[in-house]
Amino acid sequence: MTSFTSGSGRTGRRLAAAITALGLAVLLPATAAVAQDGSPSPAAKKVFTIGIQQDPDSLNPFNGYLSSAYEAQGIMYDLLTGWSDEDFGPVPQLADSWEKSSDGLTWTFKIHPGVKWSDGQPLTAKDVAYTFNRTINGANERPKYDAYVKNIKDVVALDDVTAEFHLNAADPIMDHLWVPIIPEHIWKNIKSKDVPSFDNEDNPVGSGPWVMTERKPGEFIRFAANKNYYRGGPKLDELIFKIFEDEDAMVQALRKGEIDAVDSLGGTTFQSLQDAPGVTTVKSKGLGFNEIGINVGAQTVENKPIGDGHPALKDRAVRQAIAYATDRNVLVDRVLRGLGSAGASIIPPAYADIYYTPGDKEYKFDLNRANSLLDGAGYTRGPDGIRVDPSGKKLSFRLFGREDSEESKASVQFVQGWLKEIGIDTKVQIMAEDKLTEVIGNGEFDLFEWGWGVEPDPDFQVSVFTCDQRSYTDSGTIYAGWSDSFYCNSAYDTLYKQQSTQLDRPQRATTIKQMQDMLYTDVPYVVTYYQDNLQAYRSDRWTGLKPDASGAIYFGYGTDRYRSIDHPSESGDSGGISTGVLIGVGAVVAIGLVAGGVALARSRATEGERE
Amino acid sequence: MATQLGQVSSGVGSAPDETAGPTLPTPVKKRFTGGATTVIVRRVLGAIVSLFAVLVFNFFLFRVLPGDPARKLARNRHLSAEQVMELRRSMGLDQPLGQQFLTYLQGLAHGDLGQSFSKHMPVSEYIGDRIWPTVLLVGVSTILSIVFGIWIGIKGAWQRGSAFDRVSNATSLTLYSMPEFWLGIVLLMLLAGNQVGLGLFPTGGMHSVTPPEGVLANALDVAYHLFLPCLTLTLAYLAEFSLVMRSSLLDEMGQDYLTTARAKGLRDLKVRRRHAVPNALLPTTTLIFLHFGFIISGALTVEIVYSWPGLGTASLEALQFPDFNLLQGIFLLFAASTIIFNLVGDLLLGLFDPRVREA
Repeated sequence: MTSFTSGSGRTGRRLAAAITALGLAVLLPATAAVAQDGSPSPAAKKVFTIGIQQDPDSLNPFNGYLSSAYEAQGIMYDLLTGWSDEDFGPVPQLADSWEKSSDGLTWTFKIHPGVKWSDGQPLTAKDVAYTFNRTINGANERPKYDAYVKNIKDVVALDDVTAEFHLNAADPIMDHLWVPIIPEHIWKNIKSKDVPSFDNEDNPVGSGPWVMTERKPGEFIRFAANKNYYRGGPKLDELIFKIFEDEDAMVQALRKGEIDAVDSLGGTTFQSLQDAPGVTTVKSKGLGFNEIGINVGAQTVENKPIGDGHPALKDRAVRQAIAYATDRNVLVDRVLRGLGSAGASIIPPAYADIYYTPGDKEYKFDLNRANSLLDGAGYTRGPDGIRVDPSGKKLSFRLFGREDSEESKASVQFVQGWLKEIGIDTKVQIMAEDKLTEVIGNGEFDLFEWGWGVEPDPDFQVSVFTCDQRSYTDSGTIYAGWSDSFYCNSAYDTLYKQQSTQLDRPQRATTIKQMQDMLYTDVPYVVTYYQDNLQAYRSDRWTGLKPDASGAIYFGYGTDRYRSIDHPSESGDSGGISTGVLIGVGAVVAIGLVAGGVALARSRATEGERE
Repeated sequence: MATQLGQVSSGVGSAPDETAGPTLPTPVKKRFTGGATTVIVRRVLGAIVSLFAVLVFNFFLFRVLPGDPARKLARNRHLSAEQVMELRRSMGLDQPLGQQFLTYLQGLAHGDLGQSFSKHMPVSEYIGDRIWPTVLLVGVSTILSIVFGIWIGIKGAWQRGSAFDRVSNATSLTLYSMPEFWLGIVLLMLLAGNQVGLGLFPTGGMHSVTPPEGVLANALDVAYHLFLPCLTLTLAYLAEFSLVMRSSLLDEMGQDYLTTARAKGLRDLKVRRRHAVPNALLPTTTLIFLHFGFIISGALTVEIVYSWPGLGTASLEALQFPDFNLLQGIFLLFAASTIIFNLVGDLLLGLFDPRVREA
């Protein structure tokens, strides 16, 4: 006890002195070191830094499901075909041209001659065959690309530039195979069982315009330009994806010039950036839609009823009344602040050739019409103004919104108000998306607000409403399929099968529109809006950002992939931290430490005097 | 199944004999009587039991969370039902819960925390990447807040009612009551942003995207990025130490032995340093060890504001997935660090304070 007491005063003083000394010892030489290192500055390097809010989950093409992972893998690897910047149609990427046999069961792709991998090895049709055969047959390779290879039997390299695909059934996805081509000479050393944990971060070899050179997990990914890219190398030298966990911090970084561009902004932030100096905001058509989903009578694929959905929602008249009572324009103005457009069907207008417009059938917002529809179908109002169905059950529905989305919470409030006007009572409940997925899968819901991202190929999106996508039972447990309305209509399923083998795009578009017409009439969804995609970049420093067919300048389907970005003139500025700032900060910290030490010493001196 | 469980728990049960030995260096042993050793063994045993309880609780808690990792993986790729089932099988999620738990325990016995579903790598590897930024951030800010907090507490108590006391008290209380993320975003706007602020510091991350050459310059670069999140946490933690130190010193100042010390003719400074402060430090010491336990888990919101690549941001991402294996790994680490520092704090306090030894 005594020894502890007597030691503490001295230890404290020594500690303070030591900390001060250590601080100075570390900081001063470091400041000097930076000053020296900084002098031959590599100012000529053109570095474009884009702030994103999602760390890619994997750079291994067989893993990674986040959109940031798709973007990163998409610039490291090439596909056979890309998406046109005009209409999302197929355009040459690794393949210069392709043709199909008359039965659609054999496809031949001509590979661009002379393409080299980033390690200098030649890329040939053998790599293409290797990629697809491995994907088709690999237990760990197939899941991510199943939708693309499900009808492919095998792929044969006829020579260095010709790859022949043999199919089990005709498939319109063949000119949009979203499967990155990987180098056989690298991947033959990676066993299939190791694929799930292979991170592909150690000098990955690809054929794309960018080569990944450094990754700091949770911080940034650096890509170096592949100046020999066969469709024209990037004008930039480096591209960096910098991860931000907080949107406000990311926007501050853009305003300040620490980063050059930002992706997927919220509406408020986007509008606040519209008058920021040096910043150009870019609004593009969203590739998705939001909806009020309706439980039309939950059953499993075995037609076994599940859940506890309200029986009145099985009645199409009730669902149509809800559609008439939903003012989509108000949702766009009030919920999206005008950054979007009113919804109609499950294909967003960006995909022009398959986009469906209801014409005369449109459910224009009309509360009187909704009311008379319900009156006519026998739903009379009770004394409290709430309607009852013929069996005497009140029209009182659960309405679920999503916790993670302000738009969702606002939308359900509006819908609740409108439904009240037509004598339908709703109980709003906000929950996490995971929870919502679970209750929907079990059929334990009436109405909910959610949305879908829609790919250029509509197959998946229209498949969501087929009977097969309802929940299924596996050893006693109910698992959700993709259907979240439990819509099931054999005429619709027939059309689905028909479109899945239609190789003629206009013919297929007609079928897709017919299917949407059925959905529009039957109302498993009230599609509320198409939300705009919001981006912004430093136009005072950069030019040449080329939009894709939706108008997005990155994180889209474009063919440019950051290749034509350049400084507007000679005024180059890489935007990193200047050495001056570093020295300044070092000096401030050092001065602070000295001042602290002096103050400490002085306070001890005064205390000494007082003693 | 029962035998396997039995084996594992008997393994855990035998652990205290092994760990109790090394925690008792020989000079210390001499100072303790037999009773003290029993206390120590009891504490260590208690710590191990808590750790095991946390382990079991974590496992089942995270599995009660709604959400299906296989489906989440499949979401952007729209996999067929068969493919989703295949994913579930490869994740081991098709097994009964009891079997999954056994697999988990068996892996754990070999130091294997399993595979992260969302990061596609071993959990231990991912945690290894993320732990050091957090230790650096929270470690430095904890030490700074301890040093400054204790100093402010002592000075404030000794000059009770002075301008310094009033100002420091009010300031630290205000900072203490602010939500950390809010304080963080305000400092970020003022010192990192240039819209309304000075734009002196980076807005996030731990390294510049174009890092300077050289080890020292690199260390300085990290220090530069560390400054704001560290300042935020130091300010937020400050009051915890200053207020406890202040009040415990005030308690001591009323004690008779100080009057005695002064009556003996000891000078003011000596009374404070040799008599009052050491006694008043005891509650603060406890607090320090409690706090060290939180080093690993403590900085979640500040890490998010400053995009600091630590365990806080990692646990948030894991929770959103939900990545069971990663969550289990992270929370096991959180719990273990809290329990271990509590234990060390308990044992050390026994060294300093005989009353604790006898308790």
